This record gives sequence, structure tokens and C-alpha cells, in this order.
Amino acid sequence: MKIAVLTKAIPSYESLIRIDTSSKWIDDSLVNYVVNESDAYALEEALKIKESLADDSEVVVVSMGSEDKCSKIIKDGLAKGADRAILIDSQEKISDPLSIATLISDCIKDEQFDLVFSGLQSDDLGSGQVGVLLGEKLKMSTATLAIETQIQPSAIRVKRELESGWFQWLTIPLPASISIQSGINNPRYPSLKGIMGARNKEVAKHNSNQFSNNQLQSMVELYIPSNEKQAEKIEGDSKSVASRILEILKNDLRVIQ
Amino acid sequence: MFTILEKILLITFLSSAISFFLYHLYVRLSIVFKGKGSFAFDHLLLRLKRLFDEVLLHKKVISKQRTIVGFLHLFVMYGFIFFGLITLNHFLIPFDIKLFSPSFKLNYFYFVGLPWAILCLIGILGLAYRRFFIKPKFLGEKSKTSAVVTLFIFLLMITYLYDEFHLWNSLLQYKVNWWLHSFVIGSFLFLIPKSKHMHLVLSPFNIFLKPFDNPDHAPVPIDLEASEEELDNLLLDLSRLSKNQALDIFTCVECGRCTEVCPANRGGGILNPKYHFILDLKNPMLENQDVNVVDKINVEAGWECTTCQACTEVCPVGNQVEKADEIRSFQVLSTGDVPQEYQKLLMNLQETGNTEGKNSSEILKELPEYTAEKEIVLWLGCFAKHAMDPNFVKSVRNFTKILDSASISYGVLSNEQCSGDPANKLGDKLTYQLLMDQNVEALKGVKKVVSMCPHCVVNLQKEYRKYHEINYEVKHHTQMIAELLEDNRININPGSLEKVTYHDPCNLSRTLNETEAPRKLLKASAPNYFELEEHGKETLCCGAGGALWWKKDTGEGRTHLLRAEQVIQSKTDTVVTGCNFCYGMMNQGIGPLTPSDQEKIQVKDIADIVAENLSN
Ligand code: SF4
Ligand code: SF4
Repeated sequence: MKIAVLTKAIPSYESLIRIDTSSKWIDDSLVNYVVNESDAYALEEALKIKESLADDSEVVVVSMGSEDKCSKIIKDGLAKGADRAILIDSQEKISDPLSIATLISDCIKDEQFDLVFSGLQSDDLGSGQVGVLLGEKLKMSTATLAIETQIQPSAIRVKRELESGWFQWLTIPLPASISIQSGINNPRYPSLKGIMGARNKEVAKHNSNQFSNNQLQSMVELYIPSNEKQAEKIEGDSKSVASRILEILKNDLRVIQ
Repeated sequence: MFTILEKILLITFLSSAISFFLYHLYVRLSIVFKGKGSFAFDHLLLRLKRLFDEVLLHKKVISKQRTIVGFLHLFVMYGFIFFGLITLNHFLIPFDIKLFSPSFKLNYFYFVGLPWAILCLIGILGLAYRRFFIKPKFLGEKSKTSAVVTLFIFLLMITYLYDEFHLWNSLLQYKVNWWLHSFVIGSFLFLIPKSKHMHLVLSPFNIFLKPFDNPDHAPVPIDLEASEEELDNLLLDLSRLSKNQALDIFTCVECGRCTEVCPANRGGGILNPKYHFILDLKNPMLENQDVNVVDKINVEAGWECTTCQACTEVCPVGNQVEKADEIRSFQVLSTGDVPQEYQKLLMNLQETGNTEGKNSSEILKELPEYTAEKEIVLWLGCFAKHAMDPNFVKSVRNFTKILDSASISYGVLSNEQCSGDPANKLGDKLTYQLLMDQNVEALKGVKKVVSMCPHCVVNLQKEYRKYHEINYEVKHHTQMIAELLEDNRININPGSLEKVTYHDPCNLSRTLNETEAPRKLLKASAPNYFELEEHGKETLCCGAGGALWWKKDTGEGRTHLLRAEQVIQSKTDTVVTGCNFCYGMMNQGIGPLTPSDQEKIQVKDIADIVAENLSN
């Protein structure tokens, strides 16, 4: 079984987020990049499948972004037990999920992965679409929001999280692309042997420029949400006060219909 | 009197008993010598003094709560020692060799033999009564060998007295008595080596050889450029015990005191140091004929340990009990199976150099930066730097107030990283090294460091030394303030009449050996100062040690509440401590635990109580 795990480098929660001079992206120089949380669970799930099969299965970390951002998280994945990695080196700031999925698919289509795992969504842009779109591009069956997986001969059973505590079991044929919910397993910590072993593992580099890339979506402007306090003093008799409150709740805050 | 047949029988019996004993001793010692490292013989006088105190004076056996049991044991031990001559004499009788003149023998009997036979009898019967009738929980399951030993010692004394008082009327009676006495002594040699009674032989050596540092874990230097083979050797090494640790395991007398004092165990955890850190390793060692048994330590138990060293402090046979360091290093470095909350902590340390994953620190900005002309580096530590208890910021300011009033110039290092204590304690020696190396670099050229965090002091002063040459001197702030007081650089007026007690932090009292400096300061500033029942080196851990501060509160286990509860029960007005983590734990525990009819106890650092009473 060949399993790809899409792994994204995202700014750590404690990082200082500033907008860069283009006003279209954040200032990378101030940011500490870490692995996207749900991707860590996706990797663990892949490693567990590999271990349970105990055959020549392969887990491949696939990461896109500039090398300096991604190399640390790739190393981390390899240290945890992934067999090799594919880095799609891209200096461009792409935020459009379809373009990203297309790029990745162009890079990995020859690999013939049986499974693609991705985290449910990235904690920075949060579109939650790349895994599914990539699955479509590669003509795979897809499922999202997996909270449990069971591997079967040429199929995978997935338990999907639905709303308000409901869930659904479904069996989909391989190859499949599945997005993994955080918290479904206990990601391991890289052992010393893993860290040392990672030094000799292969990291294949693709340059995103070699693929055509028509971005369907681009960032117009990025800004830090302004944080203002507002107070309105409502005066008048109880009836007019009540109707003003109703108006605010309905039209301004939209908390009631 | 004795026939040739009897003599042959005696020689055969004794020589097989002695061979049996020596063989099993040899088996154990050869395992011990496979251990890592070497036995140290430095500070010979101190070692001899310790031997004198702990063996001959029984200082640890007769500790506060165990005075009676301790004396009972002392009687038995001296009984054994004084019976050495008597036993020698006993076995020479069949060969008509007279070791002593009749008058010496008589005097020895009246002045030594008889009184010690009686005391020894009292001792062993008392101990048996305790074990089989009072049944303290920590002695564990019924011990068959203890019953046999009781019977043996009882028989020895009775047969001895029977003989000395000439209670026999015929040669037959004499001989039956003589043989019974001989049989019992010989049987001892069969019984000792395979049971806890081996402590009779090994504990003096173990106490003599015990390392002075508590704890004394071996460093794990990691070279990321190392070859595959070197790495494999390093990992293999992690599963091996040191010589001292191996000797400990064969010396353990199974008294259970380590478990009795263990905060994790008292708090309802599964950790039972007597078994998890000692006895569980004994059979594997004998089976493997080797010391590669670290993986036999229960990992879950290992994560519960606060590394407080109470177990080691209390052990009467000189064992260094705690092996959380070994099992955690093994777990982290060779398997990577680490609880999620600790992974988060370790990632924070790797990424930001502090436990909280913070990018900036308010108090760091507020304090003057260290420059070469300043006297000391004020080492903040993550707790103070990132206000892990917001109240503690006040304590830091109070300490700087004291430094100012003594006109001491100080500064903080803007590139101070976490000392690495949590990483070290969690067994992530790689992350530890990363932080340590940066700190050692940052401290180059520095002469004096002072810190309010005993964890930082332990690392800067003791642990770093295992890896690097260290040229600075580190003090805990209580030590420094006490010196300032002694040198009259500050003056303290005794303050208000509130009741004040002191909680000894484990790292300060047991690891840094400092129980006096804080007391000196407390006595100067608080006239109504009193001791908690468990204090000094016998203190009870607040529950934060061993990186347990960051442990997820699952609602189970009360390790983190026990000490706060004791403080509340002491009915003090104020509890003072010398460690920021203890400070935080006290605040967290005292709030919710204080009964509604009791005034809430104030938590202070030594720096607070001194600063409040400064009179310059
Ligand atoms: S160090 Fe403390 S917590 Fe750990 S086993 Fe010993 S007494 Fe228990
Ligand atoms: S390790 Fe020490 S304290 Fe613990 S049971 Fe053994 S002898 Fe007693």
C-alpha cells in the first residue's frame, strides 16, 4: 500500500502575525512554521496502517511551499516514520484550493498512490478542500472528516463525523483520498532513531514552475480585523427602546431572524 | 564429645551452606559489575561517616515516625554483630579448639551475649508482631522468609540461652540443642542470598558506595552526527542500569518506605516505587544475567513520578530509588511514545525556547539587561518570565527590590532559554541539549547567576556540568538573600504576628541540600514561624515536579493537592516557599480546598516576606 500524507506548514499559534508590504500576504520573516495540526493526525493514521499491514507499504509525506518553510515539517514526518517525502517547492503564495490540488496532482499522479490522507483543513486558510479536489483530479474515491479508518483488501472503511454527535460508516474502494479529523489517534513523538534515520531518507523536490498554474482565485487584500468597541445608548420609552433593540439584534448583529 | 561422623557431617553441612551463599552472592555481584559507570570512592571520610551514621547509628532506620521499629531493628542488628564471636566459638567446640578462656567466655556472656540475646529477642518478636499483626500496608504481602527468619532468630537465642544456662541434663540434650543451633545458623546462609535478607550483607557496601548527588542520573550526550552504530550503542545503553542502581536492587530490604512517602502513590496513582523502580527489575536481571532491564519499568508509572526524591531520601539501605529518568529517556528516545500534552510542551521548547510557546515576556522587558560590568545575572526561568502564575511577577519585583536595597547590580539575559529542566525530566535529552547548549553559550563570561527557580539552579549548576565545563557560580535567591543578611547588606525587621510556615521545595531541599538559608530568613522576618510536620529533607512534593506541572488534569489522582491540603490543615495564615512551581501549586490548591469557615491562606515566596520586612 502506498499512502501519501499531505502535510502543510502553517504559522504557529504563538507567532506574531503581521501583514507584509504587498498587503496580500503575511510577513513570513516573523513567523515560526509548524505542522498543521490535523495533518499530524493524518500522518499517524497512515503510519498505523503501514505498521498494521507489516508489509512493504510506504508512507510518503507530500508538502507544498518554500523549502525553508517546509523542510522542518518534512524532517519531522520522516523522523516519525514516513519513508520518503515529496516537496513541491513553490515560492508563490497560492491560496486557491483548486490550483493547489491541481499542482499537487500534477506532481504525484505518476506515483499511483492507493491512499491520500490529508488533515481535515489547514489551520491558516482553512478551506478544507484540497484533499477532496486532489482525489477528484486523481480519480479517487473521496471521504471527508474521518474519525476512524479500517483498511480492507482494495477498500477502506471510514467512520465520518456528521453534525451533532452523529456519524456514518462508509466503505469506499481504493484508491481513495480521505481527510482526517484531529484527535482520532495519538500522534507519536519522533524517536532518536527516527530523527537520525531521517537524515538518509529521500526528499524528492519538484518545482511548481514546471507546471502550468492558472490561479482561479487571488488575494485582493489582507488586513488584521479591526478591533473596536462600540456603545449605543438607547433612550426613550420602553416601547421605542424595545423596538430599537429588536432592530439591532435583527439587522446589525443578525442573531435573530 | 563429638564423634568423627558428627564432625564430617558438620563440615559437609557448613561447607555446602557457605558455598551456596557464596555462589549466589557471586551471581549477583557479577551482574552488578556489568552495570554502567563505576563505583566512586571519593570523599572517603564522608563516606565512612555516612556508613557510621546510617549503619551503626541506624539514623535512617530510626527516623521520626519510625522510632520504635528502628530501635527494634537496631537490637536485631547488634545481636547479629555480637553473636559473631559466639558463633565462631560454637563451631569450634566439636574440634576441641578453645577460642576464649572460661573467664572471658563468662564475662562475654553476662555483659554482651545475654543482654543482646534478650534485646535481639525483643527486637525480632516486636518486628514480627508489627509485620504479622499490625500489618502496615507498605510492607506488602505476607513474607514467608520473614516468618522463617523470626523463627530462626528465636531458636538461635533460645538455644544459646539454653546452653549458656546449662539447662541440659544429658549429653543427648546438649547435643540436640547444639545441632539445632548449628542447623539454624547454616540455614541462614541458604536463606539470605535469595531473599531480601541479602541486605544484611550488601547494605553497608551500598550505603558506602551511594552517590552523593540526589538524583544521580547519568548524562545522555547525543551526537546528531553519530554513525548508525554509535546510535545503536547509545540506545542500548539507555536500557542499562548503572552499577550503583544494580547493587541497589539486590540490597533492597522491601520495607516499602519509598512507597509510603511517594506523593504519586499517596495521591492515588499507580506508581509504587518499591516495585516499579526496584523489585520489578530483580528477576529480569537474574534471568538475563545482565543489567539491561530499564524496559521492564512500567511506563505509565514512570510518567506519574514527580522526581521528588523522597523515596531515595528515606531508603534505609542507601538506594537511589527513582528511575523515572531512565524509563522516560528510554521511552522518548527509543520509541517516541510520549503523552500528547508533553509533546506540546517539548515542541514549544524546540520552537520558542520556553515551555509556554511564547514570543515575548513582559517582565523581561521591564528588567535591566545584563551587561559585563554587572555583578550578577538574574536568571528568570520560564515560570517567572511568562507569568505562569501572574502573582509571581510581584515576587520577582520583590527580589529585585532586595537586590536594589543591597546595591547589587544585576541584569537579565534577553536570550535566556528554558533551562531545559522539563525536557531533561521528561527524558527528551535531545531537546534538553539544544537548550542547554544555547544557555551555556549565553552564559559565557558570566561569573555569578542567581535564580528564584530551584529547577533552573539544579540544571545550571549540577546538570550542565555533566556535559560542559561551567565557570559561573549559581545561587538560589534564598541563599543569596541569606548571605546579604549575614553580611549586613540588608536588614530585616521582624514583621507581623501572623502564623507563618514554610514549604520546602524538593529541588531546593533534597537536590540542592538547602534547608537552612530560607529558615534563617523566615526566622528573621516572621516571629510566629512554625514547621509543617513533613519538612526539611522529608518534605512532601507539591506535585509539580518531573514536568507534572504540564500534565493534563484528568480529574484523577490527588498528587497535586496533597501538600496544599496539609498546609490548610496546619491552620497557618501564610505559607512561604522558595520555588515558583511550588508557589503556583499552592495557589492552585489552596483556593478550592480551603473550607468556607477558614480564612484563605496567603502564599508567598521568601523574597516577598523578606521584602515586606526590609528596614534599610
Ligand atoms: S521521586 Fe517522588 S514521586 Fe518519584 S517515585 Fe520517588 S517518591 Fe515517588
Ligand atoms: S528501595 Fe529502599 S525504601 Fe524502598 S523498599 Fe527497598 S529498601 Fe525500602
